[in-house]
Amino acid sequence: MAKFLVRNLFSMFVTMFLVSLVLFFLLEVAGGDVTVRLLGVFATPEQRESLRRQLGLDAPAWQRYVDWLIGSDWRAQQLSPYPLTMAPNPQTGEQEWWTEVDGVLTRWRMVEGELLAIQRTPDGREVTSPASVPWTTDETGAEVFWGVDTRNNLVKWVRGSDLEVLVLSKAGVRSERGGPQQYIPLRKGIVRGDAGMSLQTNRPVSATIFSRAANSLILAAAAFVLVMPLALFFGVLAGVNEGKPLDRIISITGLGFTATPEFVVGVFLILIFGIWLRWLPATAVFLTGDAIFRDPKILVLPVLTLMAAEFGYVARITRASMVEVMQSPYIRTAFIKGLPRRRIIFRHALRNALMAPITVVMLQINWLIGGVIVVEVLFGIPGLGSYIYDAAIFGDFNAVAAAAMLTVLIAVMTRLIGDMLYTYLNPRIRFA
Amino acid sequence: MTTAATTPEMDKRPSLLRQVRDALDLVFSSRTAMVGLAIALFWLGVGLLSLFWTPYPPNAQMFSANQPPNAANWMGTDHLGRDIWSRIMAGTQVVLLKTRLSADPPIVIPGGVAIWGVIGAVVVGGLLGVNAGYRGGIADQIIMQILDAFIAFPVIVLYLVIVTSLGRGDLIVIAAITITGSPGVARLVRGLTLDIKTRDYIRAAETRGESKWYIMLREILPNARGPILVDAMLRVGYAIFAIGTLGFLGLGLPPPDPDWGSMVNDARKYIYANPLAVAWPALAIATLVIGVNLFADGLREEIMRYQR
Amino acid sequence: MNERIHPLVLQATDKLRQGRISRREFLRYATLLGVSVGTAYALSACAPAAVPTAPTAREAAPAAGAAPGAIVRGGVLRKGMLVQQVDHPARLSWIEGANAVRLVNEYLTVTGPDNITRPYLLERWKASDDVQTWTLYLRKGIKFNNGDDLTADDVLFSFSQWLDPAVGSSMLGLLSYLDGMDSVEKVDDYTIRLHLTSPNIGVPEHLFHYPAVILHRDFQGDWVKQPVGTGAFTLVEYLEGERAVFRARPNYWRMGEDGRPLPYLDEIIFVNLDKDASVAAMQSGQIDTFFKPRPSDFLALKDNPELQVKSVATANCFVVRMRVDMEPWNDNRVRTALKKCQDRQKILDFSYNGEGILSIDAHFSPVHPAYAERPIPPYDPEGARALLEEYAAEKGIQLPLRVTLATKNDLSEPEIAQTLKELAAPAGFDITLDITEPNGYWDRWTEVPLGITIWAHRPLDTMVPPLAYTADADGNPVPWNETRWVDPEFVEKLRKAELTLDVEARREIIGELEDIMQERGPIGNSYWTNEWEIIRKEFQNVVAHPSNFDFYYEVWKQA
Repeated sequence: MAKFLVRNLFSMFVTMFLVSLVLFFLLEVAGGDVTVRLLGVFATPEQRESLRRQLGLDAPAWQRYVDWLIGSDWRAQQLSPYPLTMAPNPQTGEQEWWTEVDGVLTRWRMVEGELLAIQRTPDGREVTSPASVPWTTDETGAEVFWGVDTRNNLVKWVRGSDLEVLVLSKAGVRSERGGPQQYIPLRKGIVRGDAGMSLQTNRPVSATIFSRAANSLILAAAAFVLVMPLALFFGVLAGVNEGKPLDRIISITGLGFTATPEFVVGVFLILIFGIWLRWLPATAVFLTGDAIFRDPKILVLPVLTLMAAEFGYVARITRASMVEVMQSPYIRTAFIKGLPRRRIIFRHALRNALMAPITVVMLQINWLIGGVIVVEVLFGIPGLGSYIYDAAIFGDFNAVAAAAMLTVLIAVMTRLIGDMLYTYLNPRIRFA
Repeated sequence: MTTAATTPEMDKRPSLLRQVRDALDLVFSSRTAMVGLAIALFWLGVGLLSLFWTPYPPNAQMFSANQPPNAANWMGTDHLGRDIWSRIMAGTQVVLLKTRLSADPPIVIPGGVAIWGVIGAVVVGGLLGVNAGYRGGIADQIIMQILDAFIAFPVIVLYLVIVTSLGRGDLIVIAAITITGSPGVARLVRGLTLDIKTRDYIRAAETRGESKWYIMLREILPNARGPILVDAMLRVGYAIFAIGTLGFLGLGLPPPDPDWGSMVNDARKYIYANPLAVAWPALAIATLVIGVNLFADGLREEIMRYQR
Repeated sequence: MNERIHPLVLQATDKLRQGRISRREFLRYATLLGVSVGTAYALSACAPAAVPTAPTAREAAPAAGAAPGAIVRGGVLRKGMLVQQVDHPARLSWIEGANAVRLVNEYLTVTGPDNITRPYLLERWKASDDVQTWTLYLRKGIKFNNGDDLTADDVLFSFSQWLDPAVGSSMLGLLSYLDGMDSVEKVDDYTIRLHLTSPNIGVPEHLFHYPAVILHRDFQGDWVKQPVGTGAFTLVEYLEGERAVFRARPNYWRMGEDGRPLPYLDEIIFVNLDKDASVAAMQSGQIDTFFKPRPSDFLALKDNPELQVKSVATANCFVVRMRVDMEPWNDNRVRTALKKCQDRQKILDFSYNGEGILSIDAHFSPVHPAYAERPIPPYDPEGARALLEEYAAEKGIQLPLRVTLATKNDLSEPEIAQTLKELAAPAGFDITLDITEPNGYWDRWTEVPLGITIWAHRPLDTMVPPLAYTADADGNPVPWNETRWVDPEFVEKLRKAELTLDVEARREIIGELEDIMQERGPIGNSYWTNEWEIIRKEFQNVVAHPSNFDFYYEVWKQA
């Protein structure tokens, strides 16, 4: 069992690594020019080039991938003469990057060719003064200094440089003289819990994503827990009565539910139960963060929608499994022995027949996640699914990447558990 | 030598006519498959018809909005006064019958988005699966590990990622169906290959000194075609479903041609005035998916009975 | 007491007589329009002759609108609205975000649903005769929710944020007549003077542009982390994409009708819901109102017995605009013919549920203060046909005249296009429709020969035409001049109107402008749309604003 676990865990890590590669290169490399999205189509090539540099996009793709995955601070630290550190902004509480110069938090700013040091005093104020920094001479003979700027980048300033930097703001693009030559955006990397800033909300992605995931998990778990007994029951019922009218009715109903898209089921559930009859809340309005617990009724229609989608699938597998078991030699033997039908079904057939569906369903988690996205968008539930949907519509790369990573991680873990459960329940595999 | 080589070939590959007749026999012997085929053929017929004729131009706003079904508009009209039945008919095209490549002017190729997507999945998945199964060892492990990474993506999530990075379009939808479908096909084909690999005629071919590609493409895949075909049919169902979902999310096939999912999404705003405008395209999606599913199910049962 | 009485005051007198507005409202309205308090009282006293109560008794009870003591305090208002990213309020670029900020921070002025701009945090303003120097007198005794007094320093700080290119506020473009902070002078702690580099009458309106909230002088740049303002609510929670929660603050400076500080409501919650989910949630009673209903939402909800619909006329319109530099629209006869093909009432009914006011073919709305009344042109296919036949004979072509009408499909444009096509057929137009997704139209909206473009509401009559019907210094049409129509006489008069502060004098000029546009202008405009505020019936004192701004301070909820 331990060996099995280790092998699967290893495989999971490799999978996640590959997934991160796929995601990064799909979004960052194939994703087209992010400057078009930020600056609009009318920007000049110079503006684009300047913004690309400010975003660190002039670095090679593999470098940016490594930065995204495990962070850029370790790389930046080798260039910076002072130790890099993170400190919360006393006003906003947001984490900012600083350097520690003789124990004082320091950042720099270039104003009209003169480098100014911004130092944070112990009482949280910021004091600006002309900076004296250790300029070093690089291979081209220019005097350079690597320091942290006010936008969380490690930047390379060149003394006496007259480089024009075009800074993007909502009023348009603004020109600054004496700007840095190179930027390394500082980040800790997604595996260290820093998924970067969301372009859409301008807050760290990791600040919102976990509470969203919790809502989704509750939704999915509720649907799962409720639909399983129901679907198993009807699946067994159909399987036992294979070919009879009852089987046909159950099978066709199940197929009907499966073939009707979640959004259609949801739209009509809202219309009928939420609006015409007014038995249940039509949408999931989260007036508070814990609305699910305060008013569980809001989850009824979303859960029903998910259940409708899952029911047919689980019932179908159960039926097939039951049919197979019922035709197996040992059940036939039991019938021949003259045991009561009820007893054969409950004592012998059921246990073996249910093993497959319970585990196979866990392997099909991806299918459930797709349904969760639709249901969340339809009912307005602030979950991971609606988060990734909003982010995708907006073109919010960091958020899409992080949410997709998390979704895949959940899927992979669930499947791992499903695999283990299956192995545990099925001794033939366990001891093979 | 020549005769020796061709005789087993003849055994394995009967004439085309014979194959078709066998397949039809298989279909006719299953009531489930018959029903499914009838539904699928109905929609195929509707789609073909719509290429030449619809009651009204599908995009023309010729009537008052949100009419209930009446003599002129059998399914009523939508919120822009367009005939719903004409739009349902035309909606079959982008799924089953035509793919629009973004060019100026747009190039239209035969075969719908769902069909090309599944063909892509079968080709990519089939090749990967047969290689993994037949070659085994390290190749097998690498292929399956990579496929695991793709299979780990929920379909809609992967599609959202692709839309974020590449935009929208028929080709993108095809690519998404291919990418999300091929791991499943590959697993199936790998399993079948592992089984077929042990058969005598593969040994014979190996002894003859045939190349690996010859064996994989000419010996293994043709003998695995039954289950692959059934799987492909099921996948067409999933693809139609996925296209509908994408249309509903507002990420579907680009306008102006109607697709069923987008029709549901558009009509949703007016559901209080005209619930039927939502119900019709939904019914179209559901029946087509059911039809394809029943057909695949029936075929599978028959094939299994055949093999038993 | 030889006072010139503002015509709107006289209209208001009628409303008061009919009982459509309260006496309190009337008094406030009249005094703000420059009528002295004495005259206002005189007017209001002679108006409600039918009301038996003695005027003096009414004055003693300030809550004239409702029965005294009727106002209930407390309760929660739940609104469906996208909860968008907000950091620096000066950078706001969406109304939704501004509606959130508005609960905590306030503006120097306020443009009401009647499109009249009044002082708000200001006590009053004064413009010099050349409209180039504006003096702003700040109200005294207003406190921020952190206890600090509001002074000219806060106003100066806010101006510095709007004018700082590093902040990136859209105010910067609007206040182009200010040369940085050099143009903003602090006279004393409660007086600020603006020295404009060029005259402008729109200063009070610009100070109510939605990013122009007054910030505390120590503001750091993130409103969510530092929600300090003078407004009646404090921010409890702000989660982008989920919800925003606001709670009433104590000691707000404006008093309610019961003599205690506003607001009446305890709490306001914005829930992030899209329109479709909002409409469903409205019907199942989960939310009380939602942001900017669409015509389809209006249709779905208008007959719901639990809801009330407040409509407001706006200057939003869908103009059928013609490129005057392209065939056949370069001929005024063809343009006039198409304009005559509008059956305005029919177009309004088909495309907007009849919810709007009919318009003449000029870009000036009756909601604008200086609008000059003109008769609505009738549907005249014969007249149009005569013009077209004349044109066709001259050009040697056969009718019908084939033209293509382009527009987008997300709002009421398809219905307008469809209806116009039918109406114009008898006149000899054969219109082909080219309707695309919004992006498909916005990519080419200035380029198509004939199109339908939506233009948003602006509170002042002289705000849109300079954007749409003028040329730049070199004589090239300005970027948003989609019709390329630059009429020297029109432009000259428009420039004059832009400098005329007096409403009556401006109305003269606007009337001439309207005539020019009707006679040879490039647009057909059938109607001005209404905006709606749809809200549960329990909520009182609700107003709908043409720009969908929320005014919730004085809203109260019936128990």
